[in-house]
Amino acid sequence: MKLNVIKAYMKKEFKELYRTKLIIMVYLMPSMILILFGFGIRMDVSHARVQIIDNDKSKISQMLSSKFEHTKYFNATISNISENSALKKIKQAKTDAVIIIPSSFEKNLLKGAKSEIGVFVDAAFPTRGTTIETYIQGTILSLVQEISKEKGLSQKGTILINNRNLFNQAMRDEDAIVPGLIGLVLLVAPAILTALLIVKEKEKGTIFNFYASSISKGEFLLAKLLPVFILHSLNIFILFLWAVYLFDVPFRGSFFLYWIASELYILISLSFGLLVSVIAKKQIVAVVLTIMVTIIPGFLYSGIIMPISSMDGASQIEAHMFSVMYYNHIIYDTFLIGQGFSSTKILFYLAILLFYFFTLFTAGKFLLKKEMR
Amino acid sequence: MADLEIRNVSVKYKKLTAVSDISFVANSGEIIGFIGADGAGKSSLMHAIAGIIRLSGEIQYRGYTYKSPQESEKIKSQISFMPQGIGLVLYGTLSVSEHLDFFADIRDIKKDTKFLEYKKRLLHMSGLTDFTNRLAQNLSGGMMQKLSLICALLHRPKLLILDEPTTGVDPLSRLELWDILDDIRQKEGTIILVSTAYMQEAAKMDRILLFDEGEIIAQGTNKELLESVRNFTYAKMDKPPDDTISFDKKTYSLKSLSIQHKEPNLEALFFVNALKKNKTLPAIKIQERQSQEKIPQIVMRAEGITKRFGSFVANDHINITLKSGEILGLLGANGAGKTTFIKMLLGLYSIDEGKLMLLDKAIKNSNDRINLKSKIGYVSQHFALYNDLSVRENLMYFANMHKIPIDAALNRIKKYSYELGFDEYMDKFPKELPLGVNQRFSIAAALLHEPVVLFLDEPTSGVDTLARAQFWQILHKLKTKWGISILITTHYMSEAEYCDRVVLLKLGKKIVDDSVENLYKLHPNAKSFEDIFLTYFKGER
Repeated sequence: MKLNVIKAYMKKEFKELYRTKLIIMVYLMPSMILILFGFGIRMDVSHARVQIIDNDKSKISQMLSSKFEHTKYFNATISNISENSALKKIKQAKTDAVIIIPSSFEKNLLKGAKSEIGVFVDAAFPTRGTTIETYIQGTILSLVQEISKEKGLSQKGTILINNRNLFNQAMRDEDAIVPGLIGLVLLVAPAILTALLIVKEKEKGTIFNFYASSISKGEFLLAKLLPVFILHSLNIFILFLWAVYLFDVPFRGSFFLYWIASELYILISLSFGLLVSVIAKKQIVAVVLTIMVTIIPGFLYSGIIMPISSMDGASQIEAHMFSVMYYNHIIYDTFLIGQGFSSTKILFYLAILLFYFFTLFTAGKFLLKKEMR
Repeated sequence: MADLEIRNVSVKYKKLTAVSDISFVANSGEIIGFIGADGAGKSSLMHAIAGIIRLSGEIQYRGYTYKSPQESEKIKSQISFMPQGIGLVLYGTLSVSEHLDFFADIRDIKKDTKFLEYKKRLLHMSGLTDFTNRLAQNLSGGMMQKLSLICALLHRPKLLILDEPTTGVDPLSRLELWDILDDIRQKEGTIILVSTAYMQEAAKMDRILLFDEGEIIAQGTNKELLESVRNFTYAKMDKPPDDTISFDKKTYSLKSLSIQHKEPNLEALFFVNALKKNKTLPAIKIQERQSQEKIPQIVMRAEGITKRFGSFVANDHINITLKSGEILGLLGANGAGKTTFIKMLLGLYSIDEGKLMLLDKAIKNSNDRINLKSKIGYVSQHFALYNDLSVRENLMYFANMHKIPIDAALNRIKKYSYELGFDEYMDKFPKELPLGVNQRFSIAAALLHEPVVLFLDEPTSGVDTLARAQFWQILHKLKTKWGISILITTHYMSEAEYCDRVVLLKLGKKIVDDSVENLYKLHPNAKSFEDIFLTYFKGER
């Protein structure tokens, strides 16, 4: 291992990254993805537009309407339009749901007779539709509970749910999504950059400098990996600051664990990029291949969209194949839970990450040929 | 035992054999020249010796034998290899001095006073001392090649392998490159293997290996090789017999002819070799054009044409006229502005300044060109052919583009394929064909609509001597039969001989514009056009 040679190559890479302005991509892309997606992805529903048609105009029906008016989840409008024109509004996407209170609502309720409230929900986006539906049901039920308490009606039969959300008490989307996004960003951005580094020399012809001199394959790969590693290490801190100060995600675990796991994770991403660069012959192929193989698992198996534990069969196995799952487990722990090094699972996952890095780097070294093909 | 021994080396790419069973030896301080057509195996052999491609057979260098790239690792510190292509191994965003540092470091050279002195000497030899802070991307082609060469020399290699280091480089830079090589060879005792497309350069080498179809078909000193073909070279006959080749005022024949002999040059080797293999140039017959066009006296007149790319002036107030029935050669090194000029004529680049008249019509915007398109033929530098279409399909496509009626198109394609001698390749794909054939059928594509003027951008680059000879025959026949005007660019100064008039460009400026005879009259001492142009390049400095 000739340190001088590695140093010379690294110096050259730094200069090239700086002078070709690729350095902008190194620092712009990760923060951009985090901010765009961090603000963009929303799982829960707030301010859903609800059209209420009150045919009863009683005390209770007004109580119900005002319940819808006084919550952040709904923007309610109460008006006396016909059922048909209300449904038309859903069609035109001017409202998300329509609630129709029948004319003898209060009378039936106090009599203890069956009373039907009509609820129409725009379910064009099923998850959003279901969420709105559940919220509406919840709102109506809570009113019913209040009334029964007040009037002393069959109190015994009512079940009260006393729930508490752990780890993300406020059920904030940011807390759930932003740590997962760090896992996505640190997978995609470093990989794309290294994917270009060798294939660029192949396209230009400067790869001959490597072929025709006595630099070893390991030296060459290290010289390509280290500059990007150093540059991207700074992103670990930048992304942390965005998460904690811009998105107000709590940080309950060990920062050292976060740092060391992220560095290891970057190395995996870099080695993967280099592997692509070794195989590909054209820059465009390298970029497309890297994006495909990093972004899709980065999203699907990062736990952003769906927790891995609730996946089944093939997707469960696939999730375990990608490094992003192991890293995200550690990341969610450091941000939301805080078990740190005391958890054997986390130690095991760190070992798995190390294994990934070692395997990918060795594969790259094995496939890199110091000859023309 | 010789310092470098190549024994039975073959190189294969999948099924294709690039080099088969080659053996030769070389000793310290020798310059061995590789000449031969494109695809003859020169580059592949160089890659094999440099240890960057798998080979069969063995190579022995100072007692160390290697048979594969892995085994050659041990001696790579003593070898230097410079691949084909201008500035190929340079990093555009690094400066000259950064390159020297980088190459010194990756070769693990101690930076002591001895090295610094050597570096200074190399910089001085290459004339780059004043440009150490310039980025490689801003160097001229000649400077790039000189920088590549001194980078390759930094670790004082004992075996220097150079693949066409001078192709496309201006004549003066080429001379300077050779001076460096000569100096290094004498002072360091280096073995230098160098390939070249310029026969004048080959004459300077200690020994020449002539490659053909992956084999060495002749080797020896310049004198020996010339001697071997002297008996077959004659003065040009007016009506040469069938089994001869005539080109450039000479006729080559294996049988003795009744006319006097002529002094041969190295190009004769290729013609004699072709004759020995029973290959003659297929006769080129061009018939009269079908349509009759009235051609104005002045086909093209460019006045003060200028093109700028940012702060870089690619064409600086150039005046050129092209008369009817004239072959005008636009000469210059890579980057001199030849292609830029042609692209402006065709409207592919906008004209920043100056006036342009084409066929008596002033060209101001693209509308002025629409009617002219049917009168202009163009062959681009890289032959704009579709690799997924066969030759026939390509030609049909071009015919359709020019809206030629289908029966006329089919007739012409058939006629040209016989006349230009590529009828046997009609159903092949361009990729499978030699460059020379692609070149001929590109010409056919440009002729389908029977233009009155033909613009050719470096059509002879990388094409072997025989194909080039044939190509010039086509052009001369076209000129006499069709009265067509031809503007052709080339970086082979020797091709100036075949033009009626030449214009020499240097760094975007016109420095010569005269007829061939006049130039010879002005420079009575010059042996070749190479010499004539050299005087202009030297005078400019």
